[in-house]
Amino acid sequence: MNWKIWSLKKSPWVFHVNAGACNNCDIEIVDLLTPKFDVERFGIKLVGSPRHADALLVTGVGTRQAAIRLREVYRQIAKPCVVFCIGACACGTGIFHTGYHVAGPVDQIIKEVDPNAIIAYVPGCPPKPEAMISGIVKALSVL
Amino acid sequence: MNLQELNGKLSQIKDKLIAIEQKTANRIFLSCEADNAYAVNKFLFEDVGCRFVIATGIDSDDCFEVLYHYSYDQTGCVITIKAFIRDRQQPAIESITPFLPAAEWIEREIHDILGIDFKGHPNLRRLILADDWPEGVYPLRKEVKK
Repeated sequence: MNWKIWSLKKSPWVFHVNAGACNNCDIEIVDLLTPKFDVERFGIKLVGSPRHADALLVTGVGTRQAAIRLREVYRQIAKPCVVFCIGACACGTGIFHTGYHVAGPVDQIIKEVDPNAIIAYVPGCPPKPEAMISGIVKALSVL
Repeated sequence: MNLQELNGKLSQIKDKLIAIEQKTANRIFLSCEADNAYAVNKFLFEDVGCRFVIATGIDSDDCFEVLYHYSYDQTGCVITIKAFIRDRQQPAIESITPFLPAAEWIEREIHDILGIDFKGHPNLRRLILADDWPEGVYPLRKEVKK
């Protein structure tokens, strides 16, 4: 196994990006990081800069204003990395599909920067922390 | 406050109103033209002593409406001033921000998304639309389609 992939799977440090979410998914992500769910047993740790991160937890629909920032954050993150679309909005814009402020689902925005990006989807409104753990473990196990 | 009490107070500005409607015990609507909205707002805020809650902008069939919602906190009565802006090409209304600073941001927001010009507003900059949003496109107007 490529040592880069090995180290990514061993301990994925995550950076949380809000791309226009209603804060519901963000609160569930904060829940996910509490001792109750104890994701550090999988080596998952929240970091404060995309340059330290292996994975992006993206919530929200990807508004026009946030899409520019999201692309910039993706450019700055060390590759290889995994992008997790957390919630119904990030996965496919959800109920905001026809909104005037929507720049597209998160995967489209990321693929404008890097067509070969590794993207995982965790649907739900909001997804439970258990669902996020399951999604992260599934995504890392196929790498 | 019920309609009788308000009616007594409203006698000074009655000529500026089109209609006074009481829908329920605690819900009163005052309709007026855009030109008179400033005076009615000022009267309700300063003379009656109502608290400004929020304003709403609507793109109606033949006109724009700005709804100013006030609460009379002693009784919990909510009073709404409906101001009709008949000019669809260049909708404009007098800003109430000079005497009511709490209305600054909501007027900026209505200006952003409906393009209503609030005359006399001290700071009518873009508030909620994206930085790259084109000038002169107002997303919640009826003619705008995505």
